[in-house]
Amino acid sequence: MNQAASHSPLRSALQGVREAIPLLGGYIPVALSFGLVATQAGFSTLEATAISALIYAGASQFLFVGMIATGAPLWLVVAMTLLINVRHVVYGPNLAALLPRSRHWPWLMHGLTDQVFALALTRLPQLPEVKRFSWFVGASLLAWGAWIIGTAVGATAGEAFTARWPLLGEIMPFALPALFLTMVAPRFTDKRWAVAMGCTILAALGLTLVGWSNVAIPLAAACGALCFYMVTFETRRRTS
Amino acid sequence: MSTALWLAVVVSALGTLLMRVVPFLWMQRRLNSSTGLNNMPQWLGILGPLMIAAVLGVSIVPVNPSAVSWIATVIGLSVTLLVWSRVRSLGWPVAAGVAVFGLVEVTALIW
Repeated sequence: MNQAASHSPLRSALQGVREAIPLLGGYIPVALSFGLVATQAGFSTLEATAISALIYAGASQFLFVGMIATGAPLWLVVAMTLLINVRHVVYGPNLAALLPRSRHWPWLMHGLTDQVFALALTRLPQLPEVKRFSWFVGASLLAWGAWIIGTAVGATAGEAFTARWPLLGEIMPFALPALFLTMVAPRFTDKRWAVAMGCTILAALGLTLVGWSNVAIPLAAACGALCFYMVTFETRRRTS
Repeated sequence: MSTALWLAVVVSALGTLLMRVVPFLWMQRRLNSSTGLNNMPQWLGILGPLMIAAVLGVSIVPVNPSAVSWIATVIGLSVTLLVWSRVRSLGWPVAAGVAVFGLVEVTALIW
């Protein structure tokens, strides 16, 4: 029996769901916080949940409700929200060669967050081509669903929840750095990649610590790319 | 929420969606087309993994930074790496890392 004939879309989608479970450790506490912050800023549970379902981009959502609460002009709120999300522009092209063509991508790409991108870029090359579409659907829908439900719970019971289990909100988000570490670790076997990755991680960490978390991802990746090309330049010059 | 505010939500959502969809579809159509690209540009292939490294750097900072949470982070990441080097998969290293991170935090709280 060939690979396509033995392929079950449901099984591949469930594999995507299973492999995206570690993402929830980071998603749920942040979604709970967003629900709580949004209601404190004057949004209803339905409105907060709708923002999570429609915009679905963590950092920009916090900025959105924060700016609205301070009375900022709407055009500026929209401009800043889109500016923070500009980094998403480079995610799609990286996955283009890994995913099959489908008429469903215009709505399925709504699920392409930082974390889903990182997971997909790591896992898709390891999967047979026939499984990739269903895998992406399963992984991205789980993450989106958790984000929406987390927001709704945070908006309705966030205060009571965080008061009862304060440590859970600190421990669960550790699943994200742990997951991303397992994704970047294989690249550290190559010296050039190790230098570029190390530079990127340190730059992102530093920028976050000084409060520039909104621009940390693109700026740190640009620093890493610079390192990557500089290492080549040095090697070539020595050998010539 | 007023109509204007709903409109702001919709415009932000549509703009974000377009930033996710359009570059993906553009690249998919260009790849292997007669007039387009045969392979993804090299710089884009480099930027992808570096973006993951950047997300790691951002997420390393603990929710409530303190000496204990930083120590727990270092120990948790070390355990994650150790388990990963043995099993080379995603699930178990993450579970072990979170468990040890939580253990250090709870132990510090009890002491």
